[in-house]
Amino acid sequence: MKRRHSPRRSFLSPSARRRRAGYLFCLPGMAYLALFLAYPLFYNVWTSVHDVELGQLLGGTERFNGLENYRAVVADPAFWHSVRLSLVFTLGSLLFQFAIGFALALLFARPFPLNGLLRSLLLVAWLLPPVVSGTLFRWLLDPESGAYNALFPAVGLGTLSHDWLTDPSTAMAGAIFANVWVGVPFNMLLLLVGLHTIDPELHEAAAIDGAGAWQRFRHITLPLMRPVSVTVLLLGLVYTFKVFDLVFVMTGGGPVDATRVLSLYAYEVFFTFFRFGQGAAAGLLLLVVPLLAGVSYVRRLRAEEEASAGGAV
Amino acid sequence: MSYPVDRRGFLRSSGAATAAASLGLGGALTSCSSGKASTVTLTWWDYFTLDNFQPGMNRLIRDIESGVPDVKIERRTFPFADLVRQITLGAISGDLPDIAIVDNVSMNTLGGSHLLADLTSRVEKWGQADQYYKGPWDGCQVGGKTLGIPNNSNCLALYYNTAMLKSAGVKPPTTWDELASVAQRLTSGNRYGLALSAIKTEEGVFQFLPFLWQSGGDLNTFSAYGATALSFLDDLIRKGSLSEQCVGWTQQDANTRFLNQRAAMQINGPWQIPTLKKAAFEWDVVALPHDKQAATCLGGENWVLMAKSKHLDKAWEVLEYTQRPSVLVPYLVSFGDLPSRNDLASQGTWASDPALRLFLSQLPLARPRQYGTHYAEASEAVAEAEQAVLTGSASPSAAAKTAAAKIDKALGKQ
Repeated sequence: MKRRHSPRRSFLSPSARRRRAGYLFCLPGMAYLALFLAYPLFYNVWTSVHDVELGQLLGGTERFNGLENYRAVVADPAFWHSVRLSLVFTLGSLLFQFAIGFALALLFARPFPLNGLLRSLLLVAWLLPPVVSGTLFRWLLDPESGAYNALFPAVGLGTLSHDWLTDPSTAMAGAIFANVWVGVPFNMLLLLVGLHTIDPELHEAAAIDGAGAWQRFRHITLPLMRPVSVTVLLLGLVYTFKVFDLVFVMTGGGPVDATRVLSLYAYEVFFTFFRFGQGAAAGLLLLVVPLLAGVSYVRRLRAEEEASAGGAV
Repeated sequence: MSYPVDRRGFLRSSGAATAAASLGLGGALTSCSSGKASTVTLTWWDYFTLDNFQPGMNRLIRDIESGVPDVKIERRTFPFADLVRQITLGAISGDLPDIAIVDNVSMNTLGGSHLLADLTSRVEKWGQADQYYKGPWDGCQVGGKTLGIPNNSNCLALYYNTAMLKSAGVKPPTTWDELASVAQRLTSGNRYGLALSAIKTEEGVFQFLPFLWQSGGDLNTFSAYGATALSFLDDLIRKGSLSEQCVGWTQQDANTRFLNQRAAMQINGPWQIPTLKKAAFEWDVVALPHDKQAATCLGGENWVLMAKSKHLDKAWEVLEYTQRPSVLVPYLVSFGDLPSRNDLASQGTWASDPALRLFLSQLPLARPRQYGTHYAEASEAVAEAEQAVLTGSASPSAAAKTAAAKIDKALGKQ
């Protein structure tokens, strides 16, 4: 006997029912996003266009002041100083993380004893909470009791013994050093995955044609690694530009203002000076760079997916 | 930095999705406290998280619960730096205590916030205001209102290593000039003449302000007097009498140098006395050396009540009770604190301990940091100026000028 859907059972066609089920499955995720992402972001935007300080908060006298908070932030020389510091921190970190990560990826791409064990040990650096790594490096770089200043002279690098974190001209270098250590495993891991996707036959063919190791790296590995590299750098940019805990624990933004990166600036305006409006504005301005990087990452990802989908046909 | 998340506050503030859960929790709480119908539960926040404070604090709370009728105290502690932040966030989320013990410098921030209950009329009726030292009491007055009661007071003085001064043939310094020359005489090898904290937090500013005041200036005359004070400290560093690393030292770090005999003198507060008593060497403490005038900075905490509290009368009753000598003396002694009341100066250990007596004698000179709502910005300008000078990245006059502009901007626009 043929079964037919009775119209009384549902007004919806099967496809519409499926779609409705799809929406229902999305709901928890959407609710989560609305509650923990959209609402705080909206509240932040609202705060950034109101004149809110501690006094107004309870008095209920906060008033809309348009872009006044943004104007105040942009007019503050300390803001631009922190933007410069964020750029220095980000570019310095990315450069070394990527270069060292790439070198390590090339190393770990070859089979050798204990390869897997060493690789997982390296990952620990990335898995540690930034507060822990920050504290660790603060101890290591301590001028009096730190391990580095004791070890440098012992291995003939006495010139490197220095009050790294208490000298305004070197504190940033110290913070970058720590962040490079944190970021290298992440770079290494992603680049290693990229290296594995390169067909070994290409290398074999080139070797038979007489290409040396450097030529193979330069003309095969590098071009084929380009998409992965851009992805790694974009993700690194997002992670590094908004860094807070590591620097906060290591230097607290000091000495003087030598390491007060943008996130620390925003935090200070908000939680130390209790200028909520301006702090919210600074926080949103902090979002600009990672947001641009994020958008371009998603675009690249989509373009790549389309390209590979096209190639598969 | 970790934020202790209050489970209840979190649930309450996360809105509709968890409404059911918080209702459930609320129900559970009501049923718990309904045993005694008339008992009032007061919430109480402070930052005394260290183990050695707990016996004294627990005793005080037991004392209150048995001495004040029908009251139960629910205490919560926060890390030092988080307490005021938490109270501020409470202003948004509505999760606030009835009673809090806050650092006296927080009166600048909290004073202008409408968060604190006005105690003026209660204090007048109570009539014990004149029992308190002037500095601590003044620190509780904001805009003509009494917003708090001093809990304990402390200030800075100069500790010295007796044997080191004796073998160098010098007496403890009483003026800036003597301080500079004595510190230089005491410096040798890896031992510094003086240790102090110049860290970029309120702690460093707490240590710097006495120099500014001693030079005859204040925050509103920082350009001139700030330069004087900064160049005095700069000279100490250039001569090697003070370590440049003090820009990273907390007061605890300074005390460690002194304890390890790597500093012959240190500027520090009375809270170090219990630790120093265990030292293997003899030490003593004298008033901070003066320049144009003598001055020291007032530290300590104040009791405050929250304006939004539903049990203000009961909370005030508790506050009043804690100020009875029979309650206050054992509590302060267990904390190693100095009293803010001059009628207690001859009681407890304060009567006999010479180091404590020295600090007590300095309390009348101790000035509160009372500069209004935007003091935090002025304070940061001061800290940055000090760090810039001591690390050699700016001259004292240039740093003082830069800081003065920031200070005027912060304190001028209140």
